[in-house]
Amino acid sequence: MTENELRAAFARHEALTPPAGPVRAAIDRAVVVRRRRRQRFGAAGVALAVLGALGVGIPQLAPRPDPQDATTVAGPSTGLPTGALNLLVLGLDTRSGAAAPAADSVMIVHLPADRSRPYLISLPRDLEVEIPGFRRDKLNAAFAYGAGREHPDRSKGYDLTRRVVAELIGVPVDAGVVLTFPALRKVTDVLGGVEVCLPQQVRSVHTRRVFPAGCQHLDGPASMDLLRQRRGLPDGGQDRDRNAQRLVAGLVRQAGEKGVLTDPVQISRLLAAVGPDLTVAGASVPDLLRVVPELASVEPVGLSLPVVDDVPRLRADPRAAPAFLDALREDRLDRWAAANPDGVNRLR
Amino acid sequence: MTYEDFADSRLAALLRYAVMLTGDPHQAEDLVQETMVRVQLHWRRVARADSPERYVRRMLTNQHIDWRRGSWMRRVLLRAEPDESTPVGTDHAQSSVDRDEIWSWLARLPRRQRATLVLRYYEDLPDAEIADILGCAVGTVRSSISRALATLRNEYVEVCS
Repeated sequence: MTENELRAAFARHEALTPPAGPVRAAIDRAVVVRRRRRQRFGAAGVALAVLGALGVGIPQLAPRPDPQDATTVAGPSTGLPTGALNLLVLGLDTRSGAAAPAADSVMIVHLPADRSRPYLISLPRDLEVEIPGFRRDKLNAAFAYGAGREHPDRSKGYDLTRRVVAELIGVPVDAGVVLTFPALRKVTDVLGGVEVCLPQQVRSVHTRRVFPAGCQHLDGPASMDLLRQRRGLPDGGQDRDRNAQRLVAGLVRQAGEKGVLTDPVQISRLLAAVGPDLTVAGASVPDLLRVVPELASVEPVGLSLPVVDDVPRLRADPRAAPAFLDALREDRLDRWAAANPDGVNRLR
Repeated sequence: MTYEDFADSRLAALLRYAVMLTGDPHQAEDLVQETMVRVQLHWRRVARADSPERYVRRMLTNQHIDWRRGSWMRRVLLRAEPDESTPVGTDHAQSSVDRDEIWSWLARLPRRQRATLVLRYYEDLPDAEIADILGCAVGTVRSSISRALATLRNEYVEVCS
């Protein structure tokens, strides 16, 4: 009878089973390695901050695809870009090494044509979007789809996310920055820490550290810890995005006070510290920073795309989002912010 | 239950199960290691399951079914037909060849089908639990088992006749 022969075959091959002891030890070793890696890269939320530091400024651009620009792009000095600029900042969560990384922080830095001040616009990572060539999925998955599983390519991940975001907001993205977790820590430490003002207490589920409500000075590791916190916040990931904006605002302020943003020597020191944890698409960092001196104020305004819950994902709010996106497209976010004070995230 | 308790009591059984699934001790080690690393990293979630053991078995089974790396090579190159030069003189030798043949037939089954057989005839689990582990309907489990058995019987007849 085949069943009995099967049982017998299985029983006979039990002898092949390797001893459990060495396997157990190998598991424990691999866990240590993976925990360390997770701590280094893992956090989501990530390094938006750098953006902050660089961020303020960021602009100068990826050549836009219009033919009339094509000639000037090649020229040695094209002058400063004019008009409104939109910069895409992605914070990578490079969990576990094996899977392709997801972009868990997606932020647009909008610089209005009048260069009055930067606007930070968070797009929630759980937002459901159409990913060209793939399927509908969460916004943070676009990076993983684009980068590919086998040998993740960050520039391809960035590119697919850029297309999704440009489609979503209806304006082209001029340049972009991809940050990994260590970048935040290093920038914060190079700047000598950062002051962050929280509207409510945050308790770290990772280190049990408590960040009290109010303003506080954080070093690199502490600001990293803060950015990882999502669980336990009333609005989850969206509250984390707001804290990321607060951190960015603090870093920008700090960098502005130290004169880092306009001092080429200090900028290059900062970049040397951040090194390969930073990927810039469409422009070099010094180019990105050339717009900084044009800004009347580096104090950013924190905004978020209005969304509604559509468990387990989020959708753009059909009532509020169109007006918000129109304001972004038409470069009048200042008026939108004035008319919608509840939609403005308090950053200090 | 802590991860340590779980590993103390279940690791050996999981290794045996992995050997039956993969047919190869090294692959079984890799599979168990990869799965248990994830179990340890996410222990709180695993411990919340109604039956942590079944949850882990499901993780391990899915990992194996999805695991593409090297599988084709291993199956085709290392688990090919029994060596033709095997001496077939005595009854004893003949019967051990038969035994190995069952093992290599198992290796040619699709992974999901083999997993069904292992869960049914090695782990002796009821159909409902097998369905839960494989994430399919009970009817699918039954038809999968009978199809796998039919394949094995056919192969067996072909060789013996």
